[in-house]
Amino acid sequence: MNRDSRATVVFNRAGLILSRSGWTLGVWLLLLALLIWYANLIPRFGEFQITSISKNSLPLVYLALGQAIIVIAGGIDLSLGALLLLSNAIAARFMADQPFGAVLVIALLLIGLVAFLNGMTGYVIRLSGVPDIVVTLATSYIWSGLALWILPSPGGGTAPEFRWLFTGSESGIGGTYVLPVLMMIIPATVVFLLSRRTRLGLSMYAVGSDSNIASLAGLGVTRAKVASYALGGALAALAGLATVAITGTGDPRFSVGANATLNSVAAVVLGGIALTGGTGLVLGVVAAGMILIMLNPILSAMGINPNNAQILQGVLIAIVMMIGGLVTLIRERRT
Amino acid sequence: MVDSAAATTVRARLAAKARANPSVALGGVCLLLVLVTGFIEPEYLSLNGARSSLLQAAPLGILAGAQTILMLTGGIDLSVTMIATGSAYVAASQSSHGAAVAILMGVAVGLVVGAANGIGVAVFRVNPLIMTLAMSGIMLGTFTAWTQTILRGSTQVAPFIKELAAGSFLGNRLPYSVVLWAVISLILIWLLRRTGWGRLLYAVGDNETAVRLAGVRTWQVRIAAYIAAGILGSIAGILLAGRTGAVDLQLANAFLLPSVAAAVIGGTSIFGGVGGYTGTILGALILSVLTSMLTFLNVGQDIQQLVYGTIVLALAWGYAGLANRE
Repeated sequence: MNRDSRATVVFNRAGLILSRSGWTLGVWLLLLALLIWYANLIPRFGEFQITSISKNSLPLVYLALGQAIIVIAGGIDLSLGALLLLSNAIAARFMADQPFGAVLVIALLLIGLVAFLNGMTGYVIRLSGVPDIVVTLATSYIWSGLALWILPSPGGGTAPEFRWLFTGSESGIGGTYVLPVLMMIIPATVVFLLSRRTRLGLSMYAVGSDSNIASLAGLGVTRAKVASYALGGALAALAGLATVAITGTGDPRFSVGANATLNSVAAVVLGGIALTGGTGLVLGVVAAGMILIMLNPILSAMGINPNNAQILQGVLIAIVMMIGGLVTLIRERRT
Repeated sequence: MVDSAAATTVRARLAAKARANPSVALGGVCLLLVLVTGFIEPEYLSLNGARSSLLQAAPLGILAGAQTILMLTGGIDLSVTMIATGSAYVAASQSSHGAAVAILMGVAVGLVVGAANGIGVAVFRVNPLIMTLAMSGIMLGTFTAWTQTILRGSTQVAPFIKELAAGSFLGNRLPYSVVLWAVISLILIWLLRRTGWGRLLYAVGDNETAVRLAGVRTWQVRIAAYIAAGILGSIAGILLAGRTGAVDLQLANAFLLPSVAAAVIGGTSIFGGVGGYTGTILGALILSVLTSMLTFLNVGQDIQQLVYGTIVLALAWGYAGLANRE
């Protein structure tokens, strides 16, 4: 009897977790299916491919994690791509020909600086009452202007050891997959635990769900908002650092940042976080970011023209979202 | 003492006036920017300067009109510049069939893509940001592929379209494109203020559930809004192509963020239900004057972007400050 009820509890718990994080699970299964498909598609699938997929996903995964936190707290940040540009430009400009120790110090300072800048953006949003989308649209111009001012043309560099840290190889080609995978897992775990297991993280969910009620319940709305933007900024800085490690240079072009922003929003939505805020797990976003990056090698392995790859990527996002919309519609009809 | 009190009342009265009629405040900002630009480059304060600013403002104003309609319903269109580019491409490649066919084919692009966006958003309930973002990617891929196949050929625009976009009449004083913009503006303002569909746009943006319970098929209202936005995007794209004389896939890219910014500066809420096209016209004018000013300042693109972003932020903040005090 006792054992029975315990089994029921466990069973119910499992059911609850499954129903709550069904989308997250689905996205990871989709990623797994794509990986298996890709492995069968190409003649040799080994360490090289795993390294290349995981390291190329790093910038988008970081950016999407940052976007996820901001969206969960009820905002949206169209300046994350520009912050990636800014951090990429600063890193490439000042890390060139420096020893590894100095490069690490620069990296840490940079993360702090960008977190501060974006935290200020969050504060301005709260203070001014101007919608997030408008403020971050304006700041995206400011940050990409600043990036262009710091690094007027593509160039710069970084220490080989720093490239090894993100890509697993000092030249950025081949190398071990352990480091890029670790560099993905550690920040993702930290952000996940921060969002689900700390007071600050839970207050972000509350504020994103309904900022008025959160405020009435005694939560610091401004604190949660600023913290979410600062964390998003720190992750955007990390994305810029990963970019400099992967490419070995800085590239301040405006379009790079704009594309990165749009991809981060797509990854967040595909990862199961509603743009209305207050729900979703950041773990799905990691898989979604990797899926978006993986589509390109898969489609090119299938011999599909890269332009068609872009079409398919858009169609895939639209179809997944349409299915999501239909599911909610059917649920609404039932109740 | 008395002086400062008088000054305070004057300021309070000015603030009250600005609150009651935001268009006046926006007009003031626009005038100030024109004067500053004239201070930097005295040539600007001439008929020629006004003409060049208006020529710049026309496509932006039309794109921002698309954005305004959608923002009133609580939507947004991130594919509007891709629609513009695609329409311009089609219009250019069909220019051998005559201007009328070319323009109609171009506008058809906006019609089809707008309808697809509308169905995704209204029927399948996809978030407008995502739907139009995905659509933008789909279009970019499609047109990149098409430029090498079915749209290969002319990237030059037909003379009639060039004349429409860049030509002027009345002794080279009044550009045709500005007249076209004025006509479109009148139609838009009339649609938004005087027609049932216009009222429904506001209502859907304000409270969709209430409107649906009142017996309105809200999905039809939304789809119509996205189609209208698509057509406006096409017209703007054809004007842009005519102004530059040739088309490429980056044609309208730079206008995406300004089109949203113009509507926001003009007082249209991104959450829907509040705003109108008169403010957007002023917003488009302000941004165009700002662009002229930054060009005359002769600084690099880095400083241009910095100043542009800062001023857009300051304007949006100032506007929100006015609206909140009400």
